[in-house]
Amino acid sequence: MALLDILIYPDPRLREQAAPVTRVDDGVRRLVDDMLETMYEARGIGLAATQVGVAQRVVVIDVSEERDQPRVLINPEILEATGEASGEEGCLSIPGYYDDVARATRVRYQALDRNGEAYEESAEGTLAVCIQHEIDHLDGRLFIDYLSELKRKRVRKRMEKRERQLGAAS
Amino acid sequence: MTAVSPREAAVRVVERVLERGETLDEALEREANQVVERDRPLLQALTYGALRWLPRLEAQVAALTPRSDWRRDPPLRALLVLGAWEAWGLSTPPHAAVSEAVAVARRLGRSRASGMVNAVLRKLHKQTPEVAEDEPTRFALPPWLAEHLRRAWPEDWPAIAEAANAHPPMTLRVDLRQGSRQNAAERLAAHGWTSRPGRVSDAALILDRPCPVGELPGFESGWLSVQDEAAQLAAPLLDAQPGERVLDACAAPGGKTLHLLQQQPECRVVAVDRSARRLRQVAENLRRGGVAADCIAGDAADPESWWDGQPFQRILLDAPCTGTGVLRRHPDIKWLREPSDAQRMATAQRRLLEALWPLLAPGGRLVYATCSIFPEENQQVVSAFVGDHAEAVPGPGPGAGRATGTGYQILPGEAGMDGFFYACLERRGT
Repeated sequence: MALLDILIYPDPRLREQAAPVTRVDDGVRRLVDDMLETMYEARGIGLAATQVGVAQRVVVIDVSEERDQPRVLINPEILEATGEASGEEGCLSIPGYYDDVARATRVRYQALDRNGEAYEESAEGTLAVCIQHEIDHLDGRLFIDYLSELKRKRVRKRMEKRERQLGAAS
Repeated sequence: MTAVSPREAAVRVVERVLERGETLDEALEREANQVVERDRPLLQALTYGALRWLPRLEAQVAALTPRSDWRRDPPLRALLVLGAWEAWGLSTPPHAAVSEAVAVARRLGRSRASGMVNAVLRKLHKQTPEVAEDEPTRFALPPWLAEHLRRAWPEDWPAIAEAANAHPPMTLRVDLRQGSRQNAAERLAAHGWTSRPGRVSDAALILDRPCPVGELPGFESGWLSVQDEAAQLAAPLLDAQPGERVLDACAAPGGKTLHLLQQQPECRVVAVDRSARRLRQVAENLRRGGVAADCIAGDAADPESWWDGQPFQRILLDAPCTGTGVLRRHPDIKWLREPSDAQRMATAQRRLLEALWPLLAPGGRLVYATCSIFPEENQQVVSAFVGDHAEAVPGPGPGAGRATGTGYQILPGEAGMDGFFYACLERRGT
């Protein structure tokens, strides 16, 4: 297993449309394991392959308290979304920035697991929000896209400044 | 997506309160689901303590750094006072607390201050510095509030301030129709929650340590409710009788509505509140107790918009107020209120009294209550009202508090209770 580098906004690769996985093989499983390790290390609760520079429709999530219930969503698709609520979100690709986003409160979704088996499930609460957030990544969308242009510009400036500072420090 | 560390979420909660004027409850509600469940108690302990002791904690930080720029940088200020509270009031191992705070400083884009955060918090964990013991700092009150309390309660105000900073007990109310207080205490003890009886309300049980509401045996059936002992005095004072029409004019979240229906299930209750959202909490509370009321979203000060013209034999007016009697449960109130609020509230309270009084049947009883300890909102409102209404006669007291002419003031800490004011007015005539 290996830690992967997480792309930071405004990296253009975060805007790519990810392609469906055609076969869940050992290569995909290795990607899943590395993504889980990377997500746990970064203390995230969800990570999309897009965020580690792999344009494939692969997502890992763990919203459990004990951090011991990893979920693998390959080619995930939302079948039904109901309710709406606004809640604060953050993103490993936009460190340190949080803002309110309105999302469906309940989703029904399908995906393939790490063995390539299809499953269907309902989710609510943090898990439902996280699934929507990660699927957005696969479509090149970020949670800040739901904010006003002014706010988005401010985030962009902040991230660019952060990059400069990190660059200067190393 | 990220789940937020409890210390980072705590910074945002404190900022929301101090910078955006949100209540601590609102801010916690918005941020709590960002942290994993296990960390929520820490988030709560951090933010309550930091807001309770804010000026004292700031003084401690100031004593350890020559810099003052942190005061003008809201996230950094919040991070430092939270860190100071963690060192002073919580028993976190110093290493974990300091390194986590430094990491949060970086994540907040305050890398340049991380050295200072590290140095100040390390020192705070070794030893609490001496700070000036002027009264606002010692009592952790904004100067205007300390002064206001001193003028209102020249002898009692230090005790009031001390009670305002004490950790509040978790007090339960037992529905005595479902089983005695003794039975409830035994049931709780069997689940490991020991308690002692309250000294004022015969339905009160005070838990020795707080219990998550969901784990309270008998909560779902309405046998047990969470309610401070002072608030438990409202329904007995209202004393509704079978068949009477009762108005609960500012009902949300419905603790007192449930109480008065549990005490007298044979009365018909109309519960009014401005906020439809908060009115749903009333319905939820009543559902738990298996009772029902006519819940109406409306402005109590404008009865024309919701009243059906049928008089009420009892009216409970638990008026919106500054909340200065419940600072121990809502430390954010200290920083959210302004000097002019007492007068502004008093005007609204008088308006409510004037609007609702005509709805009271002759011979009926109105109970006016606030969780304020400012005389402007309490005896002054009621005295002026009684002076203008010859048909309004003061009735009995709640069995606690000191008589203030028209009404009774319970000061915070009296018999371990929240600060509360009760006045009972009866309408002369037949």
